Amino acid sequence: MSAPDVLVIGGGPAGMGAALEAANSGLTCVLVDESPELGGQIYRAPLPEAEQAMSPHPHGAYLRQKVRESSGIEVRTGCSAWGVFEGPEVPVSSEGSTIVYRPKALVIAPGAYEFVPPFPGWTLPGVMTPGAAQILVKTMGIEPGKRVILAGTGPFLPAVASQLVRAGVGVTAVLEASPRHHWWTLPWHGFRTPSILREGLGYLATLRRARVPILYRRGIVEVRGGERMTHVAHAPLDDHWAPNLSRREEIEADTLCVGYGFVPRVHLAQSAGCELEFRDEQGGWVPRRDAEFATSVEGVYSVGDGAGVAGAWSAESEGRIAGLAIARRLGALEPGDFDRQQRPWRTKLDRLTPIRRALDRICRIRSGLFESIQDDTLVCRCEELPWKTVRSAIDFGADQFRSLKVATRLGMGPCQGRFCWPATSRMIARQCQVGVEQVGPSSARPPLRPVSLGCLASMDEEAR
Amino acid sequence: MLVDTVVVGGGVIGCAVADALARAGRKVHLLDATLPGRATSASAGGLWAVGESIGLGCGVILHAQENPDAEQAGPMPLPRVFMDFLLAGNRQFPRLGPELKERTGIDVEVESGTGLLYLLYEDNHVQHARQLQDWLGQESDLMVTWSPEEVRDHDPCLTDELAGGVFFPGDNQVNPMLLAEAWKRSAILAGAEFHPCRVERIERAGKSFLLHSGSERWESPELVIAAGAWSGDLAQMVGASLPVFPVRGQIVCTETLSRTLRSNLSTPDCYVLQKSHGEVIVGSTTERSDFGTQVRPGDLRDLARGACRAVPGLASLAVKRTWAGLRPGTPDEFPVLGPDPDIENLYYATGGFRTGIVAAPITAELVACSILGTTPSFPQEPFLARRFRDAPGPEASQRDSSSSSRTESDSVA
Ligand SMILES: Cc1cc2nc3c(=O)[nH]c(=O)nc-3n(C[C@H](O)[C@H](O)[C@H](O)COP(=O)(O)OP(=O)(O)OC[C@H]3O[C@@H](n4cnc5c(N)ncnc54)[C@H](O)[C@@H]3O)c2cc1C
Ligand SMILES: Cc1cc2nc3c(=O)[nH]c(=O)nc-3n(C[C@H](O)[C@H](O)[C@H](O)COP(=O)(O)OP(=O)(O)OC[C@H]3O[C@@H](n4cnc5c(N)ncnc54)[C@H](O)[C@@H]3O)c2cc1C
Repeated sequence: MSAPDVLVIGGGPAGMGAALEAANSGLTCVLVDESPELGGQIYRAPLPEAEQAMSPHPHGAYLRQKVRESSGIEVRTGCSAWGVFEGPEVPVSSEGSTIVYRPKALVIAPGAYEFVPPFPGWTLPGVMTPGAAQILVKTMGIEPGKRVILAGTGPFLPAVASQLVRAGVGVTAVLEASPRHHWWTLPWHGFRTPSILREGLGYLATLRRARVPILYRRGIVEVRGGERMTHVAHAPLDDHWAPNLSRREEIEADTLCVGYGFVPRVHLAQSAGCELEFRDEQGGWVPRRDAEFATSVEGVYSVGDGAGVAGAWSAESEGRIAGLAIARRLGALEPGDFDRQQRPWRTKLDRLTPIRRALDRICRIRSGLFESIQDDTLVCRCEELPWKTVRSAIDFGADQFRSLKVATRLGMGPCQGRFCWPATSRMIARQCQVGVEQVGPSSARPPLRPVSLGCLASMDEEAR
Repeated sequence: MLVDTVVVGGGVIGCAVADALARAGRKVHLLDATLPGRATSASAGGLWAVGESIGLGCGVILHAQENPDAEQAGPMPLPRVFMDFLLAGNRQFPRLGPELKERTGIDVEVESGTGLLYLLYEDNHVQHARQLQDWLGQESDLMVTWSPEEVRDHDPCLTDELAGGVFFPGDNQVNPMLLAEAWKRSAILAGAEFHPCRVERIERAGKSFLLHSGSERWESPELVIAAGAWSGDLAQMVGASLPVFPVRGQIVCTETLSRTLRSNLSTPDCYVLQKSHGEVIVGSTTERSDFGTQVRPGDLRDLARGACRAVPGLASLAVKRTWAGLRPGTPDEFPVLGPDPDIENLYYATGGFRTGIVAAPITAELVACSILGTTPSFPQEPFLARRFRDAPGPEASQRDSSSSSRTESDSVA
């Protein structure tokens, strides 16, 4: 059992921001991350052995160095937090051994994961997320394929497409579900955040130079192939993203990166007992938070994309403010100093709001996205469940995660519904003609990360 | 909406009762909220008619928890009529499995031939085993006593450090969730209607019951309370008092593994069984509790230790999830089945406690018969709610349940 002032789960910009501010105020802090290096998704460091990998992001390197230099922060990489129990009590495991932390305050900053809707053929080899393709080139220097198509929505698609182009990967096209004219409203909303606009325009310019077309209002309807995918079928979408199948077209491709934005990783907060609320524009279920990012559970804070998708700059600002709020709460910071120190981060957050809101509106998931799903399309990959099995359970009265799970084994596999539920819950809402929020979140059952039975057995004697 | 019968609670018991009534021609409405803690979703699905009746499975764990000082305490059998009741339930599964499959297409995974093996770690456990055999009768074929070598021959993946074992060849397993789902679908196919909703309030309108959930209402002359651990709340809504309380069970489930365990295992620390999907289940704490469904790291650790002690090779297996369910407990560990002693047309199908799954078929039969006015294949007397009427209040009776309801000769310890 270890009792630091603050335990931070997640070493992305949000978690590093929180740890830095808490430690600067004199608190003792443990920062755990399951990756081999700090940085999170955006500032992910290349693996040392990967010579072809891209150079790390300068701001990420800066944050990492600050954290490493801080004497108040104990960094534990390669360590997974797998649940939050009453206390809060947090077991953290690495290589078969477990330490249970009982901090005075807990910051949950686990980031987000990509949203992938099922469609016919989506389980064929060659279909992956843009994030997975990015990791291949960014940290390992490996080409995901020879003819790559990216499809989905959001600024992450052109970002990854241009990273692939710069790494020498052949990109055939980018399919964006929303119409082009929506995207052209962004400069108007983003004039207070020119660096973000510049970044986006840079990606577009890279793609233009490489003659990679961006096809707007287009979506995937099917992927075909044998041992690996060979063809992508796509079609024009209406305002609800429903495909017009009479104008279906096929392109040859060996790789398809599908990503329709991000889903916050809320399961740690959920297992802590934090109240959730449904915020469609932030990726779905998120913990309810106050202005300083405290959740409904005493002493538990949640920041960054794991508490509502808003990007790296928001993530860091939220983390910084939460770190300061904790310092004030634990008596390490005077209220006046708190106000002064949080102000620049608050200003930054406010400045990001307009472009964030505009992006949320453009990229919000529309219900037509699920129209190409067939009866035998798998919706739960772990348990290999086709849509028709789930649909028939719905016909027999199941209408939420708990009831569908026991009726069909949906979400009973290794991923525990983390990957299938964001899409399946929307399909159920559509089928039952209710709001997604009525269908509810999946449940969070520890361990939220793989832990062996032996590791569980060897846990701290003092654990309650 | 006016209907013949309303069943509140769609766990294994409510679904079984709804199916029996619907197939007898009643117009049944089944109302279920699928609350967190639903025992059927949490259950291990052991069909341990003999094992649980003589105090193994969850029984030893409960007994150790309630008597922390009694180092030597062994299994505590329940009165013999209880075992006969569970055996009557268990006997139906070999027929029930294929029937449900035929009616609904769902395979409820009734397993036969695995049996339940109680591991004896120490010499005093061997002593307990002798007493159990005495209790069952020396000639009984429900139980076989094994030497350490016989245990290891039966299943080589078990620990070496054994003083022996006791095998119950008739105690097998089923998938409890699919069992409830199949009964539910069978009921719906026979004309029942299912409503996912939570009953919030019940009024009396003359002789009828008027149930409210949000803006929806059902009116019925006949009400069956099958709301598991929440049954006491439901009874209270109609002005009855029912001493049913939640008994929490925390449980651990691993990733899938090719068929490894020959039998279901019971030990003084935990029980271990492998389900037909390959997952290994390690259960379960048995705690008088509130309605919370949290798990505690210390309890999970103790279960994991118990499993690794029994089957050392399990240590490398990844844990997939842990959870807690709420058993519908009663002061005397007997279920509550049949009519309320005072309120006409109010029926109970609850109190399944740690054996609600194995008891479900016979439970449904007893409750349906009492509603339909037919004669069941097993006497209903011991399970009637009126036994609580003369007993002290629920608080007092809960506390001394373990002593008052059992006679001296029932105790093995
Ligand atoms: C796959 C992916 C790729 C992205 N690429 C880009 C990009 O190229 N450009 C861009 O601008 N934005 C990108 N984003 C968005 C951007 O990364 C986020 O907005 C930003 O990183 C959010 O920061 P964060 O600190 O909230 O979370 P993250 O940066 O995601 O950090 C979360 C950290 O928590 C750790 N963690 C999670 N769960 C646990 C646990 N249980 N125990 C221990 N550690 C845990 C993870 O290992 C991770 O390091 C990407 C997002 C994703 C999901
Ligand atoms: C960890 C664990 C392991 C177990 N292992 C075994 C075993 O191996 N073998 C065995 O035979 N038994 C076992 N049991 C016991 C068995 O699971 C239970 O006895 C049985 O499932 C009880 O079923 P039920 O239908 O009465 O209750 P439940 O399954 O709890 O169902 C009650 C239903 O009523 C609903 N409900 C409650 N209030 C309302 C309301 N107001 N409105 C609408 N619906 C409502 C609930 O949502 C729930 O769905 C175990 C139990 C646990 C917890």
